[in-house]
Formats: sequence, structure tokens, C-alpha cells
Amino acid sequence: MSEGKVKEVTLPVAGMSCAACVNKVEKALEGLKGVASARVNLAAAKAGVEYDPAACSLADMEQAIAGVGYEVPWDRIELLVLGMMGTHCQQNIERAVGALDGVARVQVNLGTDTVTVDYTASLISAAQIRKVIRDLGYQVSDKAEGEASLDRERQARQQEIRRQLVNLLIAAPLGLLVMAGTFRDYWVLHTFIPSFLGNKYVLWGLATPVVLGPGRQFFVNSFNGLRRGVTDMNLLYATGIGAAYFIAVINTFWPNAGFGGEKATFYESAALLTTFIVLGRYLEAVTRGRTSEAIRKLMKLQPKRARVLRDGEELDVLADEVQVGDICLVRPGESIPVDGVVSEGYSAVDESMISGESLPVEKRAGDEVIGGTINKTGAFRFRATRVGKETALAQIIKLVENAQATKAPIQRLSDTVARHFILGVHMLALGVFLFWFFGGFNWWFDPNSHFILSPWELSGLQVFGFSLLLSVTVLVISCPCAVGLATPSAIMAGSGLGAQNGILFKGADAMEATAKLQTVIFDKTGTLTRGEPSVTEVVSLDGRQDEVLRLAAIAEKNSEHPLGEAIVRAAQERGLAVPDAEEFAAIPGHGVEARHNGSLILLGNRRLMAQRQVALGPLLTEAERLEQDGKTAMFVAAGDQARGVVAVADTLKDSSARAVQELHRLGLEVAMITGDNRRTAQAIARQVGIDRVLAEVLPEDKAAEVRKLQEQGRRVAMVGDGINDAPALAQADVGLAIGSGTDVAKETGHVILVKDDLLDVVGAIQIARFTMRKVRQNLAWAFGYNTAAIPLGAGILYPFFAQVVSPELAAFLMAISSLSVTLNAMSMRGFRPPIRRGGRPAEVARQEARGIGQPVEELR
Amino acid sequence: MDQQRATYVSALVYTAVSLLGSVAFLAATTLRGDYNWVARLGGAGWVFLLLMIILMPTVTPWVKKRLGGRQG
Repeated sequence: MSEGKVKEVTLPVAGMSCAACVNKVEKALEGLKGVASARVNLAAAKAGVEYDPAACSLADMEQAIAGVGYEVPWDRIELLVLGMMGTHCQQNIERAVGALDGVARVQVNLGTDTVTVDYTASLISAAQIRKVIRDLGYQVSDKAEGEASLDRERQARQQEIRRQLVNLLIAAPLGLLVMAGTFRDYWVLHTFIPSFLGNKYVLWGLATPVVLGPGRQFFVNSFNGLRRGVTDMNLLYATGIGAAYFIAVINTFWPNAGFGGEKATFYESAALLTTFIVLGRYLEAVTRGRTSEAIRKLMKLQPKRARVLRDGEELDVLADEVQVGDICLVRPGESIPVDGVVSEGYSAVDESMISGESLPVEKRAGDEVIGGTINKTGAFRFRATRVGKETALAQIIKLVENAQATKAPIQRLSDTVARHFILGVHMLALGVFLFWFFGGFNWWFDPNSHFILSPWELSGLQVFGFSLLLSVTVLVISCPCAVGLATPSAIMAGSGLGAQNGILFKGADAMEATAKLQTVIFDKTGTLTRGEPSVTEVVSLDGRQDEVLRLAAIAEKNSEHPLGEAIVRAAQERGLAVPDAEEFAAIPGHGVEARHNGSLILLGNRRLMAQRQVALGPLLTEAERLEQDGKTAMFVAAGDQARGVVAVADTLKDSSARAVQELHRLGLEVAMITGDNRRTAQAIARQVGIDRVLAEVLPEDKAAEVRKLQEQGRRVAMVGDGINDAPALAQADVGLAIGSGTDVAKETGHVILVKDDLLDVVGAIQIARFTMRKVRQNLAWAFGYNTAAIPLGAGILYPFFAQVVSPELAAFLMAISSLSVTLNAMSMRGFRPPIRRGGRPAEVARQEARGIGQPVEELR
Repeated sequence: MDQQRATYVSALVYTAVSLLGSVAFLAATTLRGDYNWVARLGGAGWVFLLLMIILMPTVTPWVKKRLGGRQG
């Protein structure tokens, strides 16, 4: 392994139905030479594999997966390739395309000029495949429009739904007929059920197609697994159905063999058991697809076509054939095909699907547009900057897909249980059999006893039949499908919810860690604050604040200092005329001096004013007050007379105060980390209500500060920008990279917040907590079900109430159990984090009215 | 070749142990209680089947690991 370069690929896997299937596929893949690790996500139906391409091919992986009874539904593209002259062309294409990373299979049909490629979109795009063939000198177009973009995974799921539906349509009516025939002699049923239906040979004739038709899959799959030394749910079903059917056949054809005789033909058990298991599989296949609806919605956003301007001509091309630098045209109502920068025109664009921002965003020349978003009002042109797999949407889809393919630490428990469960259940079934055979039957058996919810009397049974029946029921009732589905189905829905709100969790572990956070550290500059200084207050001795600001702006007009720029910007925003100064000089460490209309203007600190003997009087007290608040106070003097003070500070973002307050409400401690001096930091912290201030921290020491908090036993999140704060984000239990915009792939951090809005930090925690709550509910239900059901199946009630669970009731309960878990995950659809549900808390509104979190000047 | 040998050895082990288990069951039913032959043979068959199912996935990787480890 160490010699080659390890690659990562995400493969779709169809046909898995439980945690044991996951284990089976993982083992099959990890058994391959060259595979470093394999992790399978049941709900996403995907396998993430780290492998050495030199030692192992995608075809090997497909073969291994098929070997244990599952399928790989590859992405498929069908191309019409013109110019192929013979078999050497065929070989060229097969060799060139087949050598591409991510291509599993290439088929060239010279008769129809068609090239069909099976590939995985996690490694290569359709456009890259087309380009390779085009580079060989052939003309390439899509065989049938849209076909290439067919969702293979959905197709596979639909196939599975269809397959199980057909099975159900065979099993259900036959099973019901078998049940009607079996119970014909009870109650008034004989009055309308024909007598021939109760004939044991007719029952055999009806049950056999159910067991050998829809039930065949369980025998084949369990045999395939056993051959490779792995067990799965199919084995439980196969032994259960097989045993019931086997006894029924013996009792039909050799009634005196001692298996319970004619009264113990369990055809209805075998038939209904199969029916309920198939029903469970069908319902699971139908519902499980819905938990991944969010990612599907994102995929659907990917535009198919684009209109580009090439050589002055407007061309309609496939969206993934747009090249960087192409000028694209977008009309109102159309989707923006790729990422780019507006070059001409003006419009409003609905970006809600990417950023969660509900209001359309105005776009004009120079603004960025995101592929997949929808142009609302005007027409515009833009230059493509990112295309194909590089677009924000493609990156987001990949990120969410990867997140969905990972496992949360909490899942280790269910995986471990599921892994050992099947064997454990068989051991238990053996124990139950031996117990009832050697002791229980003699002690408690009552010939008049019944199955729960059934009029069936057990009188026909003898020791072997009774013990076997309970043993089989244990096998059927114990299926840990629900345990296997509990975590991934909720995590999948949760990652989708996040993506819909512009919050991208990089993995299930990030989701779980976010839910457990205790402390959130915000980087100050650029995260809590806007990151650029602005004028927050102007104090004037004679009440003419505008004049003080104007004088300061004239002095700073030619300055390139950020404080000076802030003053000039503030003056311009107030509509003040700021003429050029005749003379200008910067006095390092003191301030600036300028001459305007013959008068000398001074702008600077106390030392400058003292040097020039300008009396400050009451302005000194004002300056001290401003400095207490962490602002930089600059004195303004003109013609040797002090005129006022201009205060400049980095201002808080609008959402900072509310975000901190909401985090407090969630029970979290909020800290701030900054390189600023303690007084400035404390002033900012006071304004937003931050609990802990980590001031005077050099950028390179931020990670160490995070570690210190972790050493105190706290689970810490760091919120900052993904580039400057990368080490601290990586050190934290959860790094939240904020305001990444569209370049999500470059971000460090475990959670990416697309928008520059601190409320998304709260939203991320709310979504993570909601998701983990669902996971815990699911696990509690799944484990609770098995804990309660196994003793019931083993006959714990029998000594007291003389009733046992029938195998078919066991199958029904098992199907309900996994269905309830999936439905619980589905109920997460439509959840909106409370922070995004609108309405501002009264306390926040009051604080804002008091000026907390707002530039002071704006409120005066 | 090693793979084949491991498969062969493990098949030998789990079949033998399962057979021993079912023979033990037969012996127990003979020594204890009044069971008819159908119950005895049927029970022994069920015990054999369950033991095979339990042992196949446990013995196979164990043998493969041991044989692989020794050669490697």
C-alpha cells in the first residue's frame, strides 16, 4: 500500500438493507489487495474507499461488491461518437477512456457509433470523458439529451422498489390465501372460505411459490455471504423461512414423522414471514430515498444548458462544456449555468438554494454569481470563472455527499452491535432451542396454548416442533435493521437540512461534535466585527460635528492609513464636501497636518496637540471616555484651536449581539480571541455580552489558546475565517469557517458557513442538536425494540400466560421497527433552525435600541 | 493457493465442530429424557445448522488470519 499513491473514491452501492450489509460490503472491499480502508453508509447507499489505483481497480471493487450480493449503479454516459472507422478506433477509445481515473467500464458500439461509459462522478466528470474522446479526433455529442445526467442511484433505488413490489404482489395475495386456508376451521370462517383452501396440499402449492419466488433472495444472499465468511440479515430470514417451510413440508407429506403432524403445517408462517419481510424491504426502499431529498434537490439545481457568446455568436451548449472565460448570457427566470462575475447588466438573483438567504441579491457589473441560482428580474452577461466540478454548487454537493458517507462516532456503537448481532442471535436461537427442548417444554407446555393475536392452538406440536418454533421466532424478531438505520438516516437528513440553510457539515463527526459544544470562541476582527474601522462618534466643542468631520477628512484625504480612509468615507457618506489640502504631511506616531485655505489643520493624538501647544480642555475627558470603550480618539485642531474629537473603531456586525445572546440561550459559553489590547477587547466584549476575553493573542498563538480551553475539559468551537484562522479552526473540536462564499472547497474547518452571518453559527448548533436528538430517539427505539422483542420471541411470556409470538407476527414487528426509524428521520424534513424562523427576541430588540452592537454615531 | 488452503482448513474445522456439537446433542437426548428419534435427529440437524452458521463466519477469518500471519 505504501508504495502507491492512495486515492479516495465514493462508490454507489445498491441493495443494502441493514447494518450487517454494511459490514459485509466493508469486509469485501477491505479484503481486496490495495484497499486501505472502506466505510459504507447505509442510508446514503455509498461506499467511500481509500485505495491504491496501481493495485486495485474500480472493476475489482465492483466485483467484490457483486460477490457479496450487491450492485454498483455507476454513473453512465452514452455518447454519439462520429468518425470511428474500425476496431483500432474502438480500441483507442477504450484504452484512452478506460485509463482515466474513475472510469469503470467503456463499451464502444461501432454499429451505432455509440460509446457507453460507466464511471463515478466522484473522480471524473462527463465533460472530461467527452474531452478525451474529442482530443482523439472524434466528434462527440450526447446520444440522447438528458440521458447522461440520469440519476443512476435513483434508478437503482427505483429498480429495488419495483423488484420488491413485484415480490410483494406475489407474496401478499398468496400469503393471505394460505392464511385463510390455515384458519378456515376457526370462528365463522368456514362459512365463506371454500374447503379446498384448507387442504394441506393446496396450502403447500400456494406457499411454495412464495418461499421459492420472493423468498429466494434471502437464501441466495445469505449463501453468498456465508461462502465469504460473513453473515447478514438475510441469514436470519432464510433460516426462519426455511425452518418453517421445512417442518410444514415434512408434516404434509410425512405426518407421522413426529414434527407435530398435520396440525402443525406452518405454511402460513413461511408465507406471511416472507410477505412481511418483503413488505418491510419495500417500505424501506420507498422511504429511505426520501431522507436524501435535500441532496437530490441540490443536484437538480445543476443547470443542463448554457448560452455562451463565442466569436460574437450566441451558442447553446451543455452547461458542463462552458469554459473559464466564456461570456454567458442569462435572461430573467433562467438558471445561472456556472460561477462567474457579472460583466454587463443588472438583476436580482435568488441565491436561497445555496446560501439560505431568502431575499434576492442584487447583481451588477463586478459582482459574483453562483451557478445553479436563479436570475429573477433583469438580463445580464457574466464571465465564467469556475466551471464543471469547480463550481460552488458542485463543491457543495460533493461536500454534503462526503459528509453523508461518513460515520458519526455514535454510530460505532450500533455498528459494533450490528456486527456481532447476527452471530449473537444465532447463538441465542441455539440457546432458546436447547432450553425449551431439554427443560421448558416439559415444565410449561400447554396443548391449549396460543400464538399471540392468533386463534391457532399449539396442541399439534411436540417437543422438537415447539422448541424449533421459538428458536425460529427469535431469529426473525431480532433483526437489527433499525439499529443500522438509526444513525445514518438522521445524519443524512441533517446534512441536507444544513446545506439548505447554507451550513455545510464536512462529516457526521462534525455534526455530532457541534451538538456537544460547550464553548464557542469567536475571532474578533472580521468575524464579530466588520474588520474595517469606521467613524463611530464625532464630538465637537461648538456642536458643529459635521465641520469637525470635514476638517479631519480634508487632513486625511491623501492618507492611505485605514483610520484616515474611514474618516474620509464617513464624511463622504454624510455628503460633506472634502476638498484637497494644499499641503499634507504625516507625522509618524503622532498624526497628520494639512493646510487648507491658508489655515493649518492638525489631526492626531495628545502628543501632537501638546507639541503644537493646542489646549484640549474638556475634549480630554471625552477622549478618555471614548478610549474606555475601545475606540481610537483623534483630536482635531484648526488655526491652533482645538475643535473636536473623532472616534474610530472597528464596528460590530449587525448579527453579533443576537448571535452571542442566542448562544447563551443554548447554554454555551462565548469567548472572543483577538490580538488587540485588553482594554479594546474588553470594550467590544461588553457590547455583545461575551463571557471570556482572550486578548493580545498573536495569530500564531490562537491554536494554543484553543488547546488551553480544551485542556480544561471543554468542547470548543472556533469561529473564524477559514484562511487566517486555519490552525485554530483545525485545533478546535469544531472549526466553523464563516463567510466562505462560494469557494467552499478551500476552506479549513469542520463546518462551512456560506454566508457571512453569525446567526448561522447558532443555526449550525441548532441543526446539529436537532439531528443528534433524532439519532438518539432512533437508537433508543431500535435498541428498545430489540431488547423488548427478543425475550418475547424466546417465549418469556409462555410460563405465565401460555402465549408465544408467531414467526409472522415477529416479522411484522421487525418491519414496523425499521419503518418507524426511517419515518422519524423523514420527519426532519421541513425543519428550520429556530434562529431562522423569523421574529427577533424582545430582549435583543431592547439591546439594539440601547445601542449594543451598533456604531454609536448612527444612533445619535 | 494460501486462500484455498485457508478455505479448506476452515471448512474442516467448522464442519467438524458442528458435527461434534450435534453428536453431543444426540448423546444428551439419549442420556436424558424420553425423546423419539424424530426429535433427536431433527434437533441434532437444527443444532448442526445453527452451529455451522455461527462457526462459518467466525472460523473462516480466524483461520485465514492465522495462516496468513504464519507465512507473512
